[in-house]
Amino acid sequence: MKSENYFVKKANQRKLNRFVEDRYLSFASGASAFLGAACVALSYDMKTKSFGMVPLVVAGLFLGEAALAFLIWTAFKSQVLKSGEVSGGLRLSGIVLAASIINGNIFCGLAGLILLKKNKNLEYQVGCYMLLVEILIIIVSYLNVFKEYVCDSFFIGMGVLAAVILIHGVSLPLVASRVHGNKADKIMFPVALVLIATTLTGNLFSLLLGLMLLRKCYTKEDHVSIAWIDVVKRLFRSQMAVLGAFVIVFLLTMSICANLTFDYGIAIDNNYSLILREPSLAYPFGTDDYGRCVFTRVVFGARISLTVGIMSTTLSIVVGIILGAIAGFYSGSTDNIIMRILDVFMAIPGLLLPIAIIAAFGTNTANITFALGVGAIPSYARTIRASVLTLSDAEFVEAARACGARDKVIIFKHILPNSMAPLIIRATLGIGAGVTAVSSLSYLGLGIAPQIPEWGNILKAGSSYLETNAYMAIFPGFAIVLLVLAFNFLGDGLRDALDPKLK
Amino acid sequence: MKDKLDKLMVRAFGKPLYRIALVLLGLPTFVAGFVAYLSKKGQDDAGYQKIRETAKKAAEEDGTLNRIRDNAKLYLTNKYRHFGKKTDSAEFEKELETQIRQDEEAEIQARVNQIYQKEGLGKRSTFIEFLCGCLDNQMLLALSIVTSLPMYVLLLISSNPYSRYIFERLIMMIFVAFGVVFVVFTILHFASSSPAANVLGETATEQQIADFNHVYGLDKPYAVQLVNNFKNLATFDLGNSYAGNEDVMAAILRKFPVTLEMSIYAFIIAAVIAVPIGILTAVKPNTAFDYIFMFIALVGLSLPAFWFGMVMILTFSINSHILPASYVEGNKLSLLMPALVSGTHLAASLARNTRSALLEVLGQDYIVTARAKGLSNVRVIVKHALGNAMIPIVTVAGLQFGGTLGGSAVIEKVFNVKGIGSYVIDKQFLPDIPAILGGVVYVSIVISLVNLAVDLLYVYLDPRIKSRLKSQ
Repeated sequence: MKSENYFVKKANQRKLNRFVEDRYLSFASGASAFLGAACVALSYDMKTKSFGMVPLVVAGLFLGEAALAFLIWTAFKSQVLKSGEVSGGLRLSGIVLAASIINGNIFCGLAGLILLKKNKNLEYQVGCYMLLVEILIIIVSYLNVFKEYVCDSFFIGMGVLAAVILIHGVSLPLVASRVHGNKADKIMFPVALVLIATTLTGNLFSLLLGLMLLRKCYTKEDHVSIAWIDVVKRLFRSQMAVLGAFVIVFLLTMSICANLTFDYGIAIDNNYSLILREPSLAYPFGTDDYGRCVFTRVVFGARISLTVGIMSTTLSIVVGIILGAIAGFYSGSTDNIIMRILDVFMAIPGLLLPIAIIAAFGTNTANITFALGVGAIPSYARTIRASVLTLSDAEFVEAARACGARDKVIIFKHILPNSMAPLIIRATLGIGAGVTAVSSLSYLGLGIAPQIPEWGNILKAGSSYLETNAYMAIFPGFAIVLLVLAFNFLGDGLRDALDPKLK
Repeated sequence: MKDKLDKLMVRAFGKPLYRIALVLLGLPTFVAGFVAYLSKKGQDDAGYQKIRETAKKAAEEDGTLNRIRDNAKLYLTNKYRHFGKKTDSAEFEKELETQIRQDEEAEIQARVNQIYQKEGLGKRSTFIEFLCGCLDNQMLLALSIVTSLPMYVLLLISSNPYSRYIFERLIMMIFVAFGVVFVVFTILHFASSSPAANVLGETATEQQIADFNHVYGLDKPYAVQLVNNFKNLATFDLGNSYAGNEDVMAAILRKFPVTLEMSIYAFIIAAVIAVPIGILTAVKPNTAFDYIFMFIALVGLSLPAFWFGMVMILTFSINSHILPASYVEGNKLSLLMPALVSGTHLAASLARNTRSALLEVLGQDYIVTARAKGLSNVRVIVKHALGNAMIPIVTVAGLQFGGTLGGSAVIEKVFNVKGIGSYVIDKQFLPDIPAILGGVVYVSIVISLVNLAVDLLYVYLDPRIKSRLKSQ
């Protein structure tokens, strides 16, 4: 027998579930507390058996914000359970919570922004992430002020970023009030164009928001939902997946904006007066054995990892689609020949094929992209072949054939669009694997030239100073883990969002 | 017994690759049989031509052929009218001619068959039927077995579904091994850096380089070198490495056990951690327990091996002196950290797959039935669900184990383990072609063997696969 308490709990949970704020607030307090605890653990020095001062301060900030989020959450819960709605005063406290973005706490910042607004649509949520990306970028860029000098374009860059934040900040309330269901007011058309223009900073959330607004401006019947916007909606239900997307967009934007606000010279020129400095405000991740700022190097390193990861995955997807589609569609000897050749490539284990290609043709970015791309072709071709095989017996393909459609049309217009879902998921995970592979190659000394800032290179340099200056190896590793983890979370979220069973 | 042989023979002859293998292995039997068949066919053909002539004449005389021609013309005219095409074009004439020829041939053939049936002559036999007929004779069969024993061994292998399956996979593996040699050698052959210059150093004279190339056969054309490499693979003699001139096969046999040992430890660690976690998270899905462990698993998947290895060295060796930082031969404890690092990735994916496989099985109807019978939760999961969930788990585990063997290069470099992965990477810079070829081929063969073992394990786990295998 379930106790009476059980049903009361369930009813209360149902009430809370009507508000998205509940999830955001609980997540914010939990994640901030976790980060705070992690900072405390990191601040402990095993050798000297003492706590570092700076990490402890950061940990205190995070823990304080966690407590604040928890307080607001309890107040929110009691209000919802008592009256079924949230008072204006509590909503205003979202401003305080949103201010915690200043020390980089995106969880609380997000929860604050979400709490602030009463009627939230999907566009408002996307807008919140969009705004947070830019704010975080400007904060990270601001760290350059503590250095001895900043690059010439620093103030231009900061100005551009501030202008973009202003645009995003203004459009946020507009988006929340002028979009109704599947239809947007015509006035949103110029707003959408401006938002798409701000994608130049690398902020893909603004591109997404702009496209969604454009589509909704031009919808004829507002009771018909739009398929891809539904996928986005389902994706935004999973907070971890969107956080993954957030990290990816953040690193992408960072690597584009770094061209203006960061000095490439600090990342690449030797400076013998600054060798092996411990982390400080001017050099947040310390300096390496040539006196280069590790933080700046990590920021610029994102560029290469992302480019090679995305380009090599694109290469293997394109070739994989063509081979897989041909093999699956024309079964028989064509299938046999293609798959046996791919079997040979698949038999060469792990990184050994890319390593052989790189050893043969030399180490530069193009060769590494090519090598990693070739290594991944067989698995993509197999994925595509499997879904093409099942789809080529489907009735709609038979219908297309009966109408006299040519093979090319059947493959590219009927079969492939229907087998995209597993491919998108695989590709997301594949980019993450590509990022790891690039840095593994650099670590083995087979990657990009050692002076170029690339995460694997920074790590390799750090590995020789593991005993004395461990931070040199730790921080770039965190960057790699963060990016790969982000892609994995996004891939997992996409799997749920694209699952045809949920449609 | 004889029937079975006939059946095997006919079935094997039906598959193109088997047919080639049969003819090659049983060449004496087939040559003798073919000569006999040709002579018999000559006699048969003469008789056939005579009967065909009579049939054709009869058909001409009773007006059947004329009727066929008229019908064909009528049919084609109607067809052309329907599609709105002209009936006096060259195209029409051509089509009419082929149509008439086809119909006449069918009619004559039908009459010939009738005559054959009436006179009790029987069908003309194909070559393989003829051969089987000959082998009915005990004497000929004994002679054939003596002269072409390999063919009968092949037939014996193909008679049992399991042995046939294993045999086909092994043959496939040999082809893949040759393919791997081809691909890797071709890539390395067209490499921009020359091994001679790298081995001998910058001070080498042109004469020295030429001598080096001559000794290792690098001055020969591409095709000759490729064939030599194939020959080496077939004879299991992988040659000597350029640097140090050591026997590659001996080096590989010395280094591979280290990698294998590490991978096995990693696999055991992974299985012990991952499978119970996967089961527990699947039994209690969408709870805090589930979320936390799946988050940890995803983090484990995202950790780059070299970084994780470094963090482990930092915590366990440098800061707390619990474990040795690098591999020492004979010290099992020094293999623990590399095994842990490579086991983390394995465990993460194994736990995720166990969870999803078990969740899928737990949603099926027969589990509801089992619960409705009043079985306890433990019994339902252990007795009913786990068995079926095992199949995808074993696949992933097998693939991952193979991947650990091949992908351990980075971990071996971090912990300075003298295994096969770091061997290949060390040789990559020259490039030391025999050593790289040997290492890559060896690892790929072992991975194929592991996959074969996994596939055989299926047969015992899944009765459906067993029946499918037998019906082939």
